[in-house]
Amino acid sequence: MSERIVLEARDVVKRFGAVTALGGVSFDLRAGEVHALCGENGAGKSTLIKLLAGVHPHGSYEGEIQVDGKTAEFHSTRDAERAGIAIIHQELALFPDMTVGENLFLGTFPQRFGRIDWDRVYAQSAATLADCGIQLDPAVRVGDLGLGQQQLVEIARAVGRKPQVLVLDEPTAALARHETDTLLDLVRRLRSRNVACVFISHKLDEVFAIADRITVLRDGCAQGTLTAAETDASEIIRRMVGRRIEDHYPRRQSTPGRTLLALRGVDVKAPGDGALALHGIELEARAGEVLGIGGLMGAGRTELLLHLMGLWGTRARGAVELNGRPLLARNPREALAQGLALVTEDRKRFGLVAQQGVTFNVSLSSLRSLRRGFFVDRDREAGHAKSIVEELRIKAQGLEQPVGTLSGGNQQKVVLGKMLLTQPQVLLLDEPTRGIDVGAKLEVYELINRLTMAGQAIMLVSSELGELLGMSDRIVMLCAGRIGGTFDRSEATQERLLAAAMGRLERAA
Amino acid sequence: MNRFATRELSMLVALLAIWAFFAWQEPVFLSARNLSLLSVELAVTAVLALGMLVVLLPGQIDLSAGSGVGLAGAVAAVLVFWHDVPAPVALLIAALGAVLVWSAMGALIAIERIPAFIMTLGGLLVFRGLHWLVIENQTVPVVVGGGQNVYSLLTTYYLPVVAGYALAGLAVVAIVASALAARRRRQSYGFAVDDGEITFLQLFALAQMVFLVVIVTNGYRGVPIALVILGLVAVLVHQLVTNTPFGRYLYAIGGNEEAAVVSGVPVRNAIIGAYALMGGVVALTGFMQTAYSGASTSTVGSLMELDAVAACVIGGTSLRGGRGTVLGVLFGALIMASLLNGMTLMAVSPEAKYIARGSVLALAVWLDLRLGKDR
Repeated sequence: MSERIVLEARDVVKRFGAVTALGGVSFDLRAGEVHALCGENGAGKSTLIKLLAGVHPHGSYEGEIQVDGKTAEFHSTRDAERAGIAIIHQELALFPDMTVGENLFLGTFPQRFGRIDWDRVYAQSAATLADCGIQLDPAVRVGDLGLGQQQLVEIARAVGRKPQVLVLDEPTAALARHETDTLLDLVRRLRSRNVACVFISHKLDEVFAIADRITVLRDGCAQGTLTAAETDASEIIRRMVGRRIEDHYPRRQSTPGRTLLALRGVDVKAPGDGALALHGIELEARAGEVLGIGGLMGAGRTELLLHLMGLWGTRARGAVELNGRPLLARNPREALAQGLALVTEDRKRFGLVAQQGVTFNVSLSSLRSLRRGFFVDRDREAGHAKSIVEELRIKAQGLEQPVGTLSGGNQQKVVLGKMLLTQPQVLLLDEPTRGIDVGAKLEVYELINRLTMAGQAIMLVSSELGELLGMSDRIVMLCAGRIGGTFDRSEATQERLLAAAMGRLERAA
Repeated sequence: MNRFATRELSMLVALLAIWAFFAWQEPVFLSARNLSLLSVELAVTAVLALGMLVVLLPGQIDLSAGSGVGLAGAVAAVLVFWHDVPAPVALLIAALGAVLVWSAMGALIAIERIPAFIMTLGGLLVFRGLHWLVIENQTVPVVVGGGQNVYSLLTTYYLPVVAGYALAGLAVVAIVASALAARRRRQSYGFAVDDGEITFLQLFALAQMVFLVVIVTNGYRGVPIALVILGLVAVLVHQLVTNTPFGRYLYAIGGNEEAAVVSGVPVRNAIIGAYALMGGVVALTGFMQTAYSGASTSTVGSLMELDAVAACVIGGTSLRGGRGTVLGVLFGALIMASLLNGMTLMAVSPEAKYIARGSVLALAVWLDLRLGKDR
């Protein structure tokens, strides 16, 4: 890391209407450093990097942005790109039906006599990929790659433009462990070439693995820039939330009651090819209990939940019982009617009607029970929505604010609220804390406690072992569509869970 | 809220500009007789557009509506004129047939996943062919020997003067009562309500509008029954889309179909329901439009689907679904109907009419995109 400052924001203030997203933030980035930005959702991280990348044009904010010590006025993202700033957004911007090479060169195709010079496209693509340490065939269709590899392609595309600043907005949110490692290696490689990186992540272990300096944002204000080697995770968290979180996982156990959901030897055929994807699944969820479901990517965790809701696959064998009666759910509607509810991992895609308000979204699954004659009873509906907003502490400007404009944590609470309003007996949660901030996470955990106290059963799918260990009463690890092991809270350790997930569990006596 | 107001305001300005232009070119545009005719034309366009709204909300479309209008009117006319079927029975048969056919199209779209654009494009051609087949390429009057029946009265009956005022009074009382009830309910839940004075001014302006319409139309022959039909359809569709689970489902499907499925929304049934409703609306529009021309001819209903879509889009309905209101559609239909009426008065050539209609549609969408950028 040199002392040369390549990019600097000075006292920037950005307002959206009456809301101040950034209240005078200063931030500097030196050549050859990885500078992490930490903060809860809504703290202003995204706004800051959008200013740096020209998404919010010059003139829409106060303060100053400098590149190489000179004032920069970005009027569009193109201006920022020309100044050598490349940004990789949370949502991938790749074309799945094009090859890796085509994606890398889109918009800048080398031409010969007015035709695209395909030989050069693929030769240069291969060179760029090799340069980034990515082992990929540039002629492969991007849609055929895993999410992790797509993320690497996205970075390679940015690197191909030889940026001096690379901004990564939660690049590892959807990645498995080994994919994350590859990505972090790539970032280190770029650092060694004097590229400056801004790295945003909710995962503090990654931040400490890669960052040289860390700037914490809270409520649109900088809470100090720290040298990573001289601080620790609890200090960062303290600055992020403004209070010290003593207990990450506040699970309060309650005595489990009768069995609410039981799967007996369930085999499920995948849609499409009809191959068996889940084999002999045997598990029970009892009233007042959190049943954790773990496993590596592709182990079948999400598929299991989707199958229970009638959204995925056909049952080849076995039985599912809800409350002692066979569960007959050909679609989510029937599942909801019988007391099963699901919060999916991709809330934007499967959870929210973004342009509609909080009330609309919260009541969507319960409209039939809110009827009076032909009509929706608007008063009762508003009353329910209001009590959900209060109970879950959803921060919104009124009940009609479009949910697409809420922060991630509040969006997740809206989806949770929608499912709670259906009064489920068994609640299926698929990665309920993914991509939400520490404070909102804690609130989700406390909600889980309240629900189990009230006698509901919860199936919690998580890819974070810490969360599984911290919040579950019992844990089932899946491994390639089979049960790899079932553990009580007392006998579970990270090592044993991982061994079960990888199918290497020596049966405990 | 601010942007919303900008959009509404620019629509109002556009409408006033159109009216001012026609009034300047053809003073007879603002005569009671012409305004009364305009209100009947508005009723025909707007009823179909309201049906189109219900189909557009879940992100679908119906290109067969215009052909359907021709066909439904033709079936009823043929039954009355050639087969001596009583008019009410003929209308009922044609309407039921339309609901059935449109439900079938809805089922093919929702269950078999044929894209709505293709399915209804097919319908456009098939219904046009059936229409011409049914009338055997002749002109089939809607009533025998210059008499009157329910069918012909759809666009020729006018309420007596007193009945017009009574109806207006009733409508105003109903509107005020429901507005006050909603206000009280909101207050009882502790939600913010508009300032009392503003509410009063809004209601007062609305009441004036209602009475103005009645006074103007009474200046000719009275309130056209077609306008009353439009009022009923508008209230019905408004209630349906805003206050029933079915209506919410339409917005949810158009807003995010995948999330709707996971939320337990009966997506298929809702889409089929929307098309079934469209079938009924198409039949009703078919009867009114055919009655307005006095007979079923091969051109009745031609291109009306595009006017309906245009009215929806001008009124702020999103073609991708999930956004649109009844009030907006009524406004859009008024703009389209005014344009057509005014151009006819000015004896504009049919060629120029097509060009003007198309330009207005493109212009409206462009404006909508400009004004709704951040939405």
